Amino acid sequence: MTGVAAGAAVTLTGIRKYYGEVRAVDGVDLVIAPGEVVALLGPNGAGKSTTVDMMLGLTRPDQGSVTIFGNTPGEAVADGRIGAMLQGGALLDDVTVGEIVAMIASLHLRPLPVSEALKRAGIEELANRRCNKLSGGQKQRVRFAVALVSDPDLLVLDEPTAAMDVQTRREFWQSMREYTVTGRTVLFATHYLEEAEDYADRVVFLRKGTVVADGSVAEVTALTAGRTIKAVIPEVIPELLRALPGVSEVDIRADRVAISSKESDHTLRALLASFPDARDIEVTAIGLEDAFLSLTDDTEGNNR
Amino acid sequence: MSTGYLILEVRRAMRSTRFLIFTIAMPVALFLLYVGIFAKNDGVAKGVLMVNMTCYGALTAALFAGGRVAIERGLGWQRQLRLTPLSGAGYLTAKGVTAMALALPGVLLVPLVAVVGEGVHLDAAGWLRVTLGVWLAVIPFAVLGLLLGQVGTAESMQSITGIVIMVMSLLGGIFIPIDGMPGGLLAVSKLLPSYWLGQVGRGAVTTDLSVSLGQAVLVLAVWTAVLGLAVVRRYRRDSARV
Repeated sequence: MTGVAAGAAVTLTGIRKYYGEVRAVDGVDLVIAPGEVVALLGPNGAGKSTTVDMMLGLTRPDQGSVTIFGNTPGEAVADGRIGAMLQGGALLDDVTVGEIVAMIASLHLRPLPVSEALKRAGIEELANRRCNKLSGGQKQRVRFAVALVSDPDLLVLDEPTAAMDVQTRREFWQSMREYTVTGRTVLFATHYLEEAEDYADRVVFLRKGTVVADGSVAEVTALTAGRTIKAVIPEVIPELLRALPGVSEVDIRADRVAISSKESDHTLRALLASFPDARDIEVTAIGLEDAFLSLTDDTEGNNR
Repeated sequence: MSTGYLILEVRRAMRSTRFLIFTIAMPVALFLLYVGIFAKNDGVAKGVLMVNMTCYGALTAALFAGGRVAIERGLGWQRQLRLTPLSGAGYLTAKGVTAMALALPGVLLVPLVAVVGEGVHLDAAGWLRVTLGVWLAVIPFAVLGLLLGQVGTAESMQSITGIVIMVMSLLGGIFIPIDGMPGGLLAVSKLLPSYWLGQVGRGAVTTDLSVSLGQAVLVLAVWTAVLGLAVVRRYRRDSARV
């Protein structure tokens, strides 16, 4: 491998996948360095699952290439370097949790001991339970143990916390964190923006099969409108307000103003200099959710 | 693939009550029933029934194992396995080996009951032919099971396997011994691999209507090759679809 992709955990180069007229993935470039924890975000139908399938070698891209640690996905899978938790991944009804993990372990070259995989997934006490007698959240953790048992360097999780309640979800991410501190690479697709905010080093937004934003949570949120300053200013002069540094948008209702600013610190200082009577000042960050809505909005022209 | 994996596969299948009833309990029960009705004092007839019920249990078990391929595909389990070093060919091989392992209990149990319960006696070569011979002769059925598993769905599998077992047993001279078959039916019977499976064991108990072991083995080998090719072709088509 050459260039930026050298030593990368994942390199996607211009991958495309069309299903008839539907452009499920329409030219995605992505390089993930070893040790990164990346969240893949996007509305339904944005191409998350198809992208994940191509990374795992379950689907072949129509165009472009996928390399995992410098190899094809198939080679990385055969070498046990990728572990994956698929959306609604299958569990067998006629085996116990311990057996299903042991089955997968027996196929890998250098598996973890089954008990260790169960421990890391936090389901040691379920080892002798039949897979058809598990709750939705427990099933997800079994899938996590199945993904972990090959002791992979790259973990790919498609909607890992779907069907989990709040408590289970927190425990799940706790186990994840124990895994990532060992320097493993993780890519997870999720609907829960707070999970991306809390656990990812980097977020990648997909929309209609293309990457619309890629960076740290702070960088991605900065792509949108920065911060909002709200204040009460008696006898406000709209022209003066619009002339303040960094202001992108102003909304005035009677003496209440809302200012969108890319550089809220500068704006606020100038605001206080120009309007010393300003009170009830509030500065709020644009959250990932606002960024998500604005970046993934399907109506044209909203894509900043 | 590892032996650990195969053991777990076999252990899974053994948990199925349906499997235990149809491939182990039923052949033994039918053997005792038929002997009671048709062959109380007829040593040769007892031997033929023993061979036929051994074949019935073995082919049912072999087909049953292959049928699980369809169910696992429906579940998405094959997708999960594609994230392991197990290749698609390895998966099919494992299922085939599992099918053969599952055919073993019936192959041993029916002759055992015949000896202990009904006093059937054969020489060592005869016993080898009825047990090991029948067991090996069931290979094409294991391959047929894989093929059915590749084309069927989880929902249709039970009826597909049921129909195939019925056709094989009724027309292939397993449920209706070839001794009692009219000529026309016997000709049809020879078109089925189950007829030749039965012949592998039959030669050990009677020379009446028996073909040579070599001929039976040859026909079964052709069946195995043809079905094996079909499985490989289907597998190539399936994996080209990604």
